[in-house]
Amino acid sequence: MKALIQKLVETVGPSGYEEKVREVVRAEIEGWVDEMKVDALGNLIARKGTRTEGGMRIALSAHMDEIGVIATHVDENGFVRFTTIGGVSPRTCIGGRVQFLNGVRGVIYMESLESATALPTLDQLYIDVGASSRETCPVKVGDIAAFDRPFLDLGGRLVSKAMDDRISVAVMIQALKELTATPHELYFIFSTQEEVGLRGATTAAYGVDPELALAVDVTRTGDTPKGVKMEVALGKGPAIKVRDSGMLSDPRVVRWMVETAEKAGIPYQLEVLEGGTTDARAMQLTRAGVPAGCLSIPTRYIHSPSEMVDYQDVQLSVRLLVALLSAPVTLK
Amino acid sequence: MTEIKDFLKTLISLPGLSGYEEPVREVISREWQPLVDELSVSRLGSLHALKRGISPEPRPRILLAAHMDAIGMMVTRITPEGLIAFTEVGGLDPRILPAQPVRVFGKEPLRGVIVQPSDRLLPPSQKGKPVEMKHLLIDTGLPAEEVRRLVKIGDPVAFDTEPLELPDELICGHTLDNRASVAALTVCLQTLRRATHDWDVYAVATAQEEETLGGGLTSPFEIRPTLAIAIDVTFAKGPGVNDYRGKTLDGGVVLGWGPQSHPRVFDDLKALAEHLDIPFEIEVYPRASGTDAYAMQIVAEGIPTMVVSIPLRYMHTPVEVVSLNDIRRVGRLLAEYILRLTPEDVQKITWEEA
Repeated sequence: MKALIQKLVETVGPSGYEEKVREVVRAEIEGWVDEMKVDALGNLIARKGTRTEGGMRIALSAHMDEIGVIATHVDENGFVRFTTIGGVSPRTCIGGRVQFLNGVRGVIYMESLESATALPTLDQLYIDVGASSRETCPVKVGDIAAFDRPFLDLGGRLVSKAMDDRISVAVMIQALKELTATPHELYFIFSTQEEVGLRGATTAAYGVDPELALAVDVTRTGDTPKGVKMEVALGKGPAIKVRDSGMLSDPRVVRWMVETAEKAGIPYQLEVLEGGTTDARAMQLTRAGVPAGCLSIPTRYIHSPSEMVDYQDVQLSVRLLVALLSAPVTLK
Repeated sequence: MTEIKDFLKTLISLPGLSGYEEPVREVISREWQPLVDELSVSRLGSLHALKRGISPEPRPRILLAAHMDAIGMMVTRITPEGLIAFTEVGGLDPRILPAQPVRVFGKEPLRGVIVQPSDRLLPPSQKGKPVEMKHLLIDTGLPAEEVRRLVKIGDPVAFDTEPLELPDELICGHTLDNRASVAALTVCLQTLRRATHDWDVYAVATAQEEETLGGGLTSPFEIRPTLAIAIDVTFAKGPGVNDYRGKTLDGGVVLGWGPQSHPRVFDDLKALAEHLDIPFEIEVYPRASGTDAYAMQIVAEGIPTMVVSIPLRYMHTPVEVVSLNDIRRVGRLLAEYILRLTPEDVQKITWEEA
């Protein structure tokens, strides 16, 4: 599965420009699903299984897009000013590298600041693509880039940009392949524009009209030196979301996930996330409402170019997803 | 038929945190059951009650929405000593939390109190100041291993203060936002009980208003009303709010005027209140009304909405105060409005100049 993860995270696809990721996913799942389509927002929606006794129409969503930057101005010396696509912090930009959709690479640096300990604001940052004038700069206003950082395999732990949320894309692809039989009509949604407001999942969920919905996404951890206080750690299994700052998981869905994990002997963690939300919010609130929850993959350094996951957590997440989707569901 | 004061006191003695509305939903359901023709629960957990009208099909529908969910807390961590750390659900002021009695809904409900660490244990930046929520803890008095056996991450926590009757028909307690409006909606249904009306009436106790306006977004999609009215609480005059921003406690119905208030509906309710001698005040909200109406208005192809409020002091604390008189007035005004609605009124709720 590591090769699949590497291929996914190294693909460039900021919000709204997910095409290359979509092609990778499509090639991976071709032949493993009953039906595939791309909707108006660019979501790749794949159906697997038909409903039999005790089955439901279930939507699963992992987002293909990643955070990135967009050029707003090129000055006369060829330096590129930019703004962000999704939640990019200036802290994680300094000295970082970006790759534009047209292949151009560049480094981010900052104006000289008043003090050596001050943090730059976004408008004090610029991208240097090695150009020396506006005319020769290969980047134009509106050009889009993703952060550029190679995949790193530390053995038990994997590091890359865009683990948020390609790791979940990988988990869904793997689960889809390992799932041999299901009583459900399953819709695997590889969604777009999550980082800019859950926009892909909003329309995909409306289109699928599910009876039950699960997002697969990353969540923060509280296991780093003097980090936030949070009871999720790497290496302790997938997290079952109880709430985040944009959604309260349906308690019946949480119970179903917990009971399934316990029955299958899969370790799990309960998650209360105090910042951020997922596609589950959009799916929960679509149409007349949908019981929704989220399977989260514990991830350190989210929205930095070096997001870290535990490989065993990833594999256990696949197992849990397969266990959840293999049997009839009773919400109680 | 339950006296509304007793019913309200029951309502504010129940938990029902956003997303966990079941305990209060069951009690409302029992109370409304003899007053309506049909009851159902939405997929998100809102309670839908239908009292049918008598005009020919397709009948216009009015949706009255009062959210039943409560603000509260949720367990985030258990300390080695067995104290419980928590986060807020729905917006809390940490200054009012220390020393509050609460109930933790673990494997079994546990009583506890919110405590703050002594000043000397706080980081220097926090000394002598109100303590941030992340430093507050719940003490259940139980040994650590017992807490760990009974409580897990994500368990809901509710305020556990008893309702208090104050002079002049005032009620004090937690979750009067928005159980006061559930009570007003109940008064409306009680008033309509033996009456006939042209329009179908959908009384909805919505879920998750405090977090996502979830019920407001989903229930109207299922019901597709001709008109939807949100009933909620608003700031009453009191300490710190004595100017135009506050309405008068026991001052009557508050009619909301802003982008979620359809002018024809607003005009009709205002004229009706004048006609019936029901005291009212007008509240201007320039953008979002902070109610389910904000969500309901843009559901599906769009729905004309209106906001009717009850003045309330000390919002989002366990000592919210409302007047029973205001609750009765809101219930009566809504009932009288419904009794006067005719099928022709559908044509009135348009954007044509009157």
